Amino acid sequence: MDDYIVLIVSCIFVNNILLAQFLGQCPFFGTSKKMETAVGMAMAVIFVLVMASAITWIIYKFLLVELGLTFLRTIAFILVIASLVQFVEMFLKKSIPALYAGLGIFLPLITTNCAVFGACVLNIDKEFGFVQSIVASLSYAIGFGLALILFAGVRERILLARVPRPLQDTSIALVTAGIISLSFYAFQGMV
Amino acid sequence: MAKSITHEFVKGLWEEVPPFRLVLGLCPTLGVTTKMQFGIGMGLATTFVLVCANILVSMLRKAVPPKVRIACFIIIIATFVTLVELLMQAFAYPLFLQLGIFIPLIVVNCIVLGRAEAFASKNGLFLSIADGLGIGIGFTLSLAALGALREILGAGTITLWEGIELVNLTSIFPGFQPFQFMVQAPGAFICLGIMLCGMNMVGNR
Amino acid sequence: MADPVTVSVLALMGIGATCGTVLSLASKIFYVWEDPRIAEVEYVLAGANCGGCGYAGCSAAAVGVVNGQAPPSVCVVAGPETTIQVAEVMGVDPGSAEPLLSANECAGGFRAENKFLYDGVKTCAALSAMYGGQRVCTIGCIGSGDCIASCQFDAIHMGPNGFPVVDEIKCVGCGACEKACPKGVIHVRTMSERLLHFNQSDDALAPCQQTCPAEIDIQRYIAQIREGDYEGAVHTIRERNPLLLSCGRVCPHPCEDKCRRGIEDEPVSINQLKRFVADYEMNSGKRLPIACAPDTGKRVAIIGGGPAGVSCAYFLRRLGHHPTIYEAMSKLGGITRYGIPEYRLPDAVLDWEIEGILNLGIDVHYNTWLGEDFTIQSLHEEGYEAIFMGIGAWKDYTLGIEGEDLNGVTQGIKFLSTVANHPEKKIPVGKRAAVVGGGNSAIDCVRTLLRLGCEEVYIVYRRTRKEMPANEVEIVASEHEGIKFQFLAAPTRVLDDGQGNVKGLEYLQMELGEPDASGRRRPVPIEGSETVLDVDMVISAISQQPDIGFMEKEPEREKVELTRWNTFDNDPEILRCSLPYLFTGGDVATGPALVVDAIGSGRRAARSIHQYITGEEIQGSPKSLLKRHIPESLFKTVPGVVASKRTPMPELEVAERIDSMVEVDLVISEDDAKHESNRCLKCCRICYDKDDYAA
Repeated sequence: MDDYIVLIVSCIFVNNILLAQFLGQCPFFGTSKKMETAVGMAMAVIFVLVMASAITWIIYKFLLVELGLTFLRTIAFILVIASLVQFVEMFLKKSIPALYAGLGIFLPLITTNCAVFGACVLNIDKEFGFVQSIVASLSYAIGFGLALILFAGVRERILLARVPRPLQDTSIALVTAGIISLSFYAFQGMV
Repeated sequence: MAKSITHEFVKGLWEEVPPFRLVLGLCPTLGVTTKMQFGIGMGLATTFVLVCANILVSMLRKAVPPKVRIACFIIIIATFVTLVELLMQAFAYPLFLQLGIFIPLIVVNCIVLGRAEAFASKNGLFLSIADGLGIGIGFTLSLAALGALREILGAGTITLWEGIELVNLTSIFPGFQPFQFMVQAPGAFICLGIMLCGMNMVGNR
Repeated sequence: MADPVTVSVLALMGIGATCGTVLSLASKIFYVWEDPRIAEVEYVLAGANCGGCGYAGCSAAAVGVVNGQAPPSVCVVAGPETTIQVAEVMGVDPGSAEPLLSANECAGGFRAENKFLYDGVKTCAALSAMYGGQRVCTIGCIGSGDCIASCQFDAIHMGPNGFPVVDEIKCVGCGACEKACPKGVIHVRTMSERLLHFNQSDDALAPCQQTCPAEIDIQRYIAQIREGDYEGAVHTIRERNPLLLSCGRVCPHPCEDKCRRGIEDEPVSINQLKRFVADYEMNSGKRLPIACAPDTGKRVAIIGGGPAGVSCAYFLRRLGHHPTIYEAMSKLGGITRYGIPEYRLPDAVLDWEIEGILNLGIDVHYNTWLGEDFTIQSLHEEGYEAIFMGIGAWKDYTLGIEGEDLNGVTQGIKFLSTVANHPEKKIPVGKRAAVVGGGNSAIDCVRTLLRLGCEEVYIVYRRTRKEMPANEVEIVASEHEGIKFQFLAAPTRVLDDGQGNVKGLEYLQMELGEPDASGRRRPVPIEGSETVLDVDMVISAISQQPDIGFMEKEPEREKVELTRWNTFDNDPEILRCSLPYLFTGGDVATGPALVVDAIGSGRRAARSIHQYITGEEIQGSPKSLLKRHIPESLFKTVPGVVASKRTPMPELEVAERIDSMVEVDLVISEDDAKHESNRCLKCCRICYDKDDYAA
């Protein structure tokens, strides 16, 4: 049990997927201008990441490893993730239209989201078991959501601050992300 | 619209240089630039994939049905990424270990897919090569610059390649204390932010 | 184990095939019907997912196009080629879509006062997050130029007065500025949308525009006159009022009563300026082109070619519909032709004005009477999708006193229209005449009588001059012309000379008592004060009601509800009657009112008819003002106004005008127009230019 707590804390805070691992930077900067979009994106990532890690884990362990084709990992994973995202999109549209209305527009963006792909690869690299993979992915996704929403909140406030002209927009966003990252850095000693 | 090969090449070096002008491909930019050599290695790997993918996409652009074009591009890119992985495992294993997850991540790098979709799928072979090469080299130089800055501040050295140190501040100034923060995660964001600010100052005269 | 190459190829193909199968199965199982055009439009769009159009990515934009929320030109990245392709998918003609234009309504800029100083990021979005912006005005432009930054086409720039100005030539109507503006003062609208827009409580409106029944953008056209853009001023007026020549002459200009300058000084002579540009167009010899929306092929019948009917027809035509006017008389114009005498509004002027409106493509059937030649039902059966009823209020009230059937007794509108119908405007009249009533019709009657050779003309009115509802200028002009006023007199009997002719008018003298419901002091008769006025002609001009004699022959009469004043009962906001396809406006709905009221209701009805025949739900605007004022825009004092002389109305000398029907009021000179337009304070909702502002 303790192992899992350590794993969760480590994945959410210490090895935060956005601020320490640098995965998924495009949506981090792209969808953080408004709180509303940030929340939508965070939810969509949580949803997809957990499913993707489960499926890729199974495919890796029971197909690629069995056949000795581990070098096909990249190409197989991207295929599976892309198909999964599309499948989820269709499924939601039909079965849970209310959820689709909220998350739908973010799903295509996730196909090329390195946080999803990266987390799946990380799970394999770290040789996690199935349950560990799921827990780690969920924690990664929560960490992603946490950082994204925090960041969006700060960016909304930055609108009201006086920012020197060359620093405006992405530049100040990067510096802000650095400071948020610094605060997450403080969890370093915990694990 | 007449497009010249030189123009397509040069624009990648300044006008549209990622990740500064086109804010794309930030993950490897931030993730691997703890040393200049990693930046160069990452940049070269990306350039390789970019050029090869552009070539293939450009050649196949008329054969690929539009409905599945994105899927096809992803598979083409994934193929070349796997190729790079295998090549690096064979010939540059230490670097491969250092870059780690960011090599397979080239597959989802927006720059690569973006160029294939936006440029190579609409233009001829040579223009696409020039475009890929230009953007790739621009990207490499950016990563190298960021890597150099972070390395000199964070470790006091600039390493061009494994074992080739251009500068070593600790040997010049024995009392030099490296600014460790810069090679760690928060430093990456702040360093890039300040470089971007500098670019803006130069760009806006 | 087989050859690794074969295995890897097989494995990849296996994964690919499985994914493909699952996806294609999923697309069948989870199939949701979606307009196939969405996919087609999405394919045509650039696919950059840039969000520049304001939708969340290209697929959302495609949905917007298919649902009709976005124009084919939605994509800001792609050029006209894409617009044409999208239009093809949607089956619309890309050229037929009305051009959208952006316009900034706020004219506040630097002059608007700040309620706090702000030192943060200079963007409107940031500023509006701070208590809605630094400026006092809740709706006005913040002035940091988010719209300018959002414009991809370099079509907006910061004007010299601190608010953005749109370059109409460069504007493509992409709507980016409208979305960028946190205040909603910059609007992208088609011409039709502008024509259909009614004053709303969150618009940037000067008090004069709030007051005008036709809601003309007065501040704007005065600004255009000031800049010498007379044609632009004509266009501005025509967006709200097609009868500018007529209104420039006869409108009692309620707008001037609310003119802010009038609080400290004499009000700006707004109507004179309107007449100045209207006459400028007429005298220039060429008609300015009037734009109409693409044809819709929908037909609407207009019953009555008075100001309400002509206005309704004009706006429907500009919206692309095909109105047909049914007119009882031999010429259009209604009360403006038959109730307003030649010396105030010459026929030649009215003819020129109406010709220009009919030239837009409006059909007219003259000399056809409702109830005799057609009925409301027969029109509907003929295929008109909606009917506008604007027959006015032509039936004079009678005095209800003894002797009203004598020779020499007539009624106001009856008398005026008889004169107007005569080719030389001459009919025989008595030597001494009394006109009963204190309204504009009464004044028109006395001044006409004078011009027809009557020697002594009296106005008999039961209250005093102060209570007379007629326009002050008209009363003054009639005083100059020698009209005699008998105030506080209530007619009781018309005296017979024994041969069936009028010998005199007996009246009771009155005194003013307590104020009544209308706030005017009620006249109370003085017992035994009967007095006889020695006259041989009596005209009663004491208001009118609609002539609803046609109703007897109307098959639909059961379904049409009337008020107790014989006016049509309608919804004052959308002007629809109890019959769903019947709309009314003007005097027939309101009872006798101003020409400009009729014009305004013609446009209001045109909007409802447009909504009705295009299948929309008929609804007024949610924040409609309907002649109510925005309280914060009405001031008690107006600091910073330096008194300056109002341009007097130029008019013919009494001696020159008294013997003929020649037009009395003249147009002001260009210099005077300049002077008068400079007196305008350029008001907006709460801010205005102080007189020393320019200095």
